[in-house]
Amino acid sequence: MSTVWLIARREFRVRTLSKASLISSGIMIAIIVIGSLIAKPFLTGDDEPATVQVDTATAGDLVPYLDAAAEAQDAAYVFAEIDAPAEPAVAEDTAGLVVGPADAPTLYLDGGDETLTGIVQVATQQAALSAAVEDLGGDPTEVATALAGAVPTVQMLGDDAGDFDSGAFFAGFAVIFILFFVLIQSSSVIMMGVVEEKASRVVEILLATVRPATLLGGKVLGVGLYALVQAAAMVVPAVFAAWYLGLLEQFEIPLGPLLTNLAVWFVLGFAIFTVFFGGLAALVSRQEDIGAVSTPMMLLMMVPLYLSIYLVPNNPDGAATAVLTQVPFFAPFMVPMRAAFGTIAGWEIALAIGICLATIPLLTWIAGRVYAGAVLNTGGRMKLRDALARS
Amino acid sequence: MPDLRIDHLTKSYGELRALDDVSFTVRGGELFGFVGSNGAGKTTTMRIILGVLRADAGTVTWNEAPLDLEARRRIGYMPEERGLYPRMKVGEQLIYLARLHGLSAADAAAAMEHWTEVLGVAERRDTEVEKLSLGNQQRVQLASALVHGPEVLVLDEPFSGLDPVAVEVMSGVLREQAARGVPVIFSSHQLELVERLCDRVGIVRAGRMVAQGTIDELRATERPVWELTGSLPAGWADAVAGSVTEASPGVWRVEAADAAAAQAALASAVKAGTVTSFAEVRPTLSELFQGVVSEEVSA
Repeated sequence: MSTVWLIARREFRVRTLSKASLISSGIMIAIIVIGSLIAKPFLTGDDEPATVQVDTATAGDLVPYLDAAAEAQDAAYVFAEIDAPAEPAVAEDTAGLVVGPADAPTLYLDGGDETLTGIVQVATQQAALSAAVEDLGGDPTEVATALAGAVPTVQMLGDDAGDFDSGAFFAGFAVIFILFFVLIQSSSVIMMGVVEEKASRVVEILLATVRPATLLGGKVLGVGLYALVQAAAMVVPAVFAAWYLGLLEQFEIPLGPLLTNLAVWFVLGFAIFTVFFGGLAALVSRQEDIGAVSTPMMLLMMVPLYLSIYLVPNNPDGAATAVLTQVPFFAPFMVPMRAAFGTIAGWEIALAIGICLATIPLLTWIAGRVYAGAVLNTGGRMKLRDALARS
Repeated sequence: MPDLRIDHLTKSYGELRALDDVSFTVRGGELFGFVGSNGAGKTTTMRIILGVLRADAGTVTWNEAPLDLEARRRIGYMPEERGLYPRMKVGEQLIYLARLHGLSAADAAAAMEHWTEVLGVAERRDTEVEKLSLGNQQRVQLASALVHGPEVLVLDEPFSGLDPVAVEVMSGVLREQAARGVPVIFSSHQLELVERLCDRVGIVRAGRMVAQGTIDELRATERPVWELTGSLPAGWADAVAGSVTEASPGVWRVEAADAAAAQAALASAVKAGTVTSFAEVRPTLSELFQGVVSEEVSA
């Protein structure tokens, strides 16, 4: 066990302390933190209501209607009455100027402002309607109440009705997408590490004192810790930025279960995919040949990702969905997606985790054999069958 | 003294028989030279000793116990294809390798300091291996084989690519290790070096051990040859028993059944003219090796 740990520690240190890694993490953290510091004034600036000047003499009667229209549209404008100058102009720090007559006002703007234009239009029409109702002897307030109540109710019918939850979809999608990228990135780091040892021939010294499976296991563990630190280096500043910008309160989906899912399936998916890729990487001898093995594997990895994105929202209770949930290479994507939709039973999650846990030693054994059989072979690419035969 | 015994090793790569019933023993404190043409099976034998390859048949025992992973961790190994992490610093790398062999952190650091000092790369401890000269990389490679205080040394072509100074350093280290009681086995194409350094030699050809023993044992021949130089008239040897041939002007090769017959030949020569030298010619390792290789060619 201590040998695995020694190997893992070296991998972790080499990856984490490499200049390229430190610089890229530093840049990412700086961009997120500095970006949020810069963005803060802009984001909060939007909340300050803009002032619109209204000429008291000609358009003062419009102000209540303007206020009502702005509120109805959830737009933050303050309508301030002034005595407009003879030559109409938009004063500094204001959004516009409204000059009468009240039944056909003129809105002066510096630039296009569709919201304000709409508000003024609605307010003018309301004012005209109220005037007309009053002229006919009616009560404008009653008319307004009646109008407000005249809203249709929309009800969806049919199979899809109400099932598609876009919030759940995006939450699940975000989790499996992060997972996908972390797994792709870690797998390529593992593959490069395996081929580096092969290409530099240091592997022969290592194998004289360490079992192939131990070497591969230590590598996977070390790169796993590295991937965790990398992810934390991005998630922690991102959460800080979200908190600082006040975005956390707006997040309506419960974060806890999502993050738990991410953590559990990160560990399981990581073990499954990186062990597998690490074994396969031993088939090639040079960095430039990695593509021959990694490209088809990465493409294959997209299959569970896309199936999860497609199957879970469209067919949450289908047989394919239920079966694939229990297949090790699919589970890391299927389970978090189904969990986000709330369409998975507790026993299904437990079973999927159990099957993955049982598969990992088997997969490690197979990958270890491929690795052992291929790792001392130099020259061209080795066939999988030959590697298995030789170990 | 612990012996390293190689018993009846056989290994095939598909159709190719790389090793065919190879057996030899390296005693504790002994320098064993492993000689043979390229592809004769030296590297395969060493890889099997280290457990990097698996033999089809045969065993390797050390101290009369099978060489398992735990025992192999006490071997110092220098593979034919040199290999270290190119972008790892010399010191860190040696400590890492020492710890993989089971040393504690403190012992590993001390051993690293000792061996970088002895091998003259102490000032390079904080340099990445890929930035070292080839000669210094070789020294670090040797340090990596020694850093865990091995109880057996297996070195594949340790002298290849070394300058004369480094060859002396390497030779000195190997002698010291043998003097500690460590069985040392190394392969080399530099036969004079093997002859000078080794207690015993094994010659492999096409996967078979064709000759092994001490240098003296190997050089002993059934029909000894003497070389005689001098100024002698033609036909001086007509009366001599045995075969006398003129190898070059003024140099004769005398093949005699024993020392007495040789002395008789010398007496005839002295009677006939002037003899400037007379000595028994024993084949060098190089000549023995040539003999083995020519058998291989004619076979």
